[in-house]
Amino acid sequence: MLEKVKEIARTVLAEKQADGVLGLMKGQWDIIQPHIFESPVEVDALVIEPKWLLAKMAMTVLRSSREGYRLAVVVRGCDERALTELVKRNQIEKERLVTIGIACTAEQAQACICDRPYPQKLDCGDAVAGVDPFSIESVKELLAGDGPARMEKWANILKRCIKCYGCRNSCPICVCVPCKLEDQVWVETGVIPAEVLSYHLIRAFHLSDTCVACGACQEACPVNIPLMALQLSMREMLRETYGYDAGLDPERNSPILYDLCKEPAAGQALPDWVNSLRKDDES
Amino acid sequence: MKILIFACKWCGLIGADGAGKKRIQLPPEFRVIAVECAALVEPDAVIRAFASGMTGVAVLGCHLGGCRFNDANHAAIKRLELLKTLLDATGIGGKRLLISFGTAHEGYQYAEVVKTFFEELKTMPSTVAWTASL
Ligand code: SF4
Ligand code: SF4
Repeated sequence: MLEKVKEIARTVLAEKQADGVLGLMKGQWDIIQPHIFESPVEVDALVIEPKWLLAKMAMTVLRSSREGYRLAVVVRGCDERALTELVKRNQIEKERLVTIGIACTAEQAQACICDRPYPQKLDCGDAVAGVDPFSIESVKELLAGDGPARMEKWANILKRCIKCYGCRNSCPICVCVPCKLEDQVWVETGVIPAEVLSYHLIRAFHLSDTCVACGACQEACPVNIPLMALQLSMREMLRETYGYDAGLDPERNSPILYDLCKEPAAGQALPDWVNSLRKDDES
Repeated sequence: MKILIFACKWCGLIGADGAGKKRIQLPPEFRVIAVECAALVEPDAVIRAFASGMTGVAVLGCHLGGCRFNDANHAAIKRLELLKTLLDATGIGGKRLLISFGTAHEGYQYAEVVKTFFEELKTMPSTVAWTASL
C-alpha cells in the first residue's frame, strides 16, 4: 500500500496536479513528521503511519502559500471529512486541494472507534468495515445511567481538565479566531480546572454539527478525558433527525443553519400555517 | 431554585407583561431577559446560564411561521434541540431547557408555561454535582 501511495504522490507531482504533497516523512534518526514533498525524488521518504491528522495543517499551508499554490494531501477518512468541512466553511479553496485517500486498517478503526475508516475518494488500500461507537463498552458506560448518575460521572471526569486547550487546538475544524474559550465573557480565564460547564459544553456544542469523529481531541487530551463521547451523541442526533453526517456531502450544509421548511426534521410534523408568509409572497 | 427566561420582545415578553398586568400569581424564582428574537439566544448563553447556577432555562419565542424575522425561530429551535442532546448526554437533562414557541404570547398562557416548568423542575434532581465542581 505504501508503495502505491508513493507512486500516486510522484505522479501528482510529475503531472503538476499539485505543487506539493503534504504527508508524513521519515527523516533523520527515523523521526516521523509532516512534510511537504515538492519533488518526486523526495517522495521516497514518505510514510503513512502513524495516524496523523493533516487537515488543519493543510489549511495553514494553503493560507500562507502564494496564490494558486495547489496542495495534495494524503488523507484518511477522518482527514477527508475534515477537509470537506473546512471547504464548506470557506477555510480552504476547493480548487487548490487534491486528496490522496488511504484506507485505515481494522486495528486503527478499532482504536479510533471510527464508523467510517476510509475516505470517499479511496486511492489506496481496501476499506475495512467501521465500528459502531455505540457498541463499544466504554462509550456505552459513559452514556449510561440516569441523569444524576451521569452528571456525577461527567463532573468527575471533566474536573481533571487542566485547560491546556489541546482539545481545541488539535481539532481539525475548530478554527475560529477569536475563540470564545479565551473570552472572559464566556469562560472565566485564569482558573484551573476550567469552568467545567462553560468550557467543555461550549467547546463541544460548537462542534456539534461539524465534528467528523476523528478522535483528535481525545487523543490530544493529556488527562484522558473521553471527549468524543460528547460529540457522538450529537452526531447521532443529527443523523437520526436530519440524516446528516458531517463531512460526507460537500454540497450539503449543516441542517441547523436552515429553517424547518428547507431542512425538516424527520418525524416532526409542522403545522400548516408555518411559513404562510412566504407562500403568500410567491403566489 | 433559579429560572432564567429568555423572552422574545414580540411574543414571550408581551406574555410576561400581560401576566404581570393581570396580577397572576407566579413562583418568584424566575428572571426574564428580553431579547429581540429567540434566535439571538445562542446555545452558549444557555450553557452559561446553567454554569452560573440556574436550575432551568426557558427560551420563549413566537409561533413557528409567525416570527418577526422570517424563519429565525426555526433555526433557534433546531439549535436548542441539538443542545438538549448534549445536556442529556452530560446528565444535566434536556428537560431543564424549555423551548416554547407561540404558547407564551398571552398572559395566562405565559403563566401556565412558567408554572408547569417550575413544577417539573421541582421534581428533578439537583445539579449539585456540577456546581460543586465549579
Ligand atoms: S472528534 Fe474531536 S477533534 Fe475530531 S472533529 Fe470531533 S471534536 Fe474535533
Ligand atoms: S485536552 Fe483535555 S485537559 Fe486539555 S483542555 Fe481539553 S479536556 Fe482539558
